[in-house]
Amino acid sequence: MTQAVRLRGIHKHYGAAHVLRGIDLDAATGDVVSIIGSSGSGKSTLLRCIPFLEQPDSGEVTVGATTIVRGAPGERVSRAEKAAIRDIRGRVGFVFQNFNLWPHLTALGNVMEVPLQVQKRPKAEVREEAEALLEKVGLSARRDAWPAHLSGGQQQRVAIARALAIRPEALLFDEPTSALDPELVGEVLAVIRGLAEEGRTMILVTHEMNFARHVSTKTIFLHGGLVEEAGTPEQVFGDPVSERCRRFVAGVLR
Amino acid sequence: MDRSFLLDVLGKLLAGLPLTIGLTALALVGGGLLALVLAGLRASSRAGAWVASAYVFVFRGSPLLIQIFMIYYGLPQFGFVRHGVLWPLLREPYVCAALALMLNDAAYTSEILRGGLRAVPQGAVEAAVVGNMGRWTILRRIVLPLAVRQALPAYGIEITSMLKATSLASVVTLMDVTGIARSLVSETYRAIEVFGVAAVIYLVLVTATTGAVRGLERRLAFT
Repeated sequence: MTQAVRLRGIHKHYGAAHVLRGIDLDAATGDVVSIIGSSGSGKSTLLRCIPFLEQPDSGEVTVGATTIVRGAPGERVSRAEKAAIRDIRGRVGFVFQNFNLWPHLTALGNVMEVPLQVQKRPKAEVREEAEALLEKVGLSARRDAWPAHLSGGQQQRVAIARALAIRPEALLFDEPTSALDPELVGEVLAVIRGLAEEGRTMILVTHEMNFARHVSTKTIFLHGGLVEEAGTPEQVFGDPVSERCRRFVAGVLR
Repeated sequence: MDRSFLLDVLGKLLAGLPLTIGLTALALVGGGLLALVLAGLRASSRAGAWVASAYVFVFRGSPLLIQIFMIYYGLPQFGFVRHGVLWPLLREPYVCAALALMLNDAAYTSEILRGGLRAVPQGAVEAAVVGNMGRWTILRRIVLPLAVRQALPAYGIEITSMLKATSLASVVTLMDVTGIARSLVSETYRAIEVFGVAAVIYLVLVTATTGAVRGLERRLAFT
């Protein structure tokens, strides 16, 4: 298996708060990596560091063949680094907790936007692919609907189709079901599970412990900005070394 | 009521319509461009934001009539204005009135634009950033379409305000609909009929504008 995403020594401060204290993460092609941990442990910040939605103060981000090394906090982003950030963003699809669909575009319009406006691919091809993706997430009947007319679960499924439309090498999910009503969680998880079964490389921050346990190939437990426990889900959920991880897992699986 | 008199007045007043509409259009176009500059200034730096706020404070906070008077009667007090290259323009009442309307419209429009921009959800911008859209693509495809939709109802009110505000141009001798009405009244002393017909003309213009803006709102609606 080849390496898809690799993080080394990621640090991030917000003012005086040191939220990431040197984190390593590896996702090989086909891996499904779950990042778990209590709120405030830095999970989302870590995930957002991959496409530089948050800028790591120091550390190394690699996606595919592109690596960005950040030196010290406050260091300016060079022209070459900006190009590398664009390259990385072109390789990953990002799914937000709050969907973040563009409200003035239809479901189909949302899925077609980046392939058309950024990747400049031919319209007929983009449209065909976008329709197939909406079909895949079970929403081809709602392709002309405005986001405001879709349920949360439907919006998130459109957002997943939008992330897939750029033909990403890896998918990043930031608590994709946390903003959903409980009865809508299942439909979104089913889509994500389907993608995992296709062998897609995915990193997901999640509170869905059963999902993390049964779908992921690797699980990372973060605490206080550090990796407290990492391994297969069997290890992390079944037989964690860290006492804190043991208590967290026991608490959420209860 | 004297129908033939009313029709006669209507015909005469309609001759002022091009001026009324022209002043409105000029005020909206010039004011709109200046409002974009003010929005850019606001986003540029603290000093820029201060200048923009000060501009809005002055032009929104003082009467348009006084602004027209200050430009038309006030500017020529200065020698450099009378001897400047712009004097052939600035001595024209039309230019003075249009300038005052523009400056005034810019203050209101920049505030409306600011409200629209503030309503753009941060998440929509973030999704565009992660989708690798450049700054201009984000502005063109995401931010402005959302801001404009948000601002449209308020901007519709601004259009009708400007339309009516052009009647102040008549005080600096311009023969717009109101200007013609004033001169007809001084000839005929039939103020109710003449001003009544003038008001109806404005009413029709305002109604048409409001309808057009509503139609546009419906066409752009996404809920």
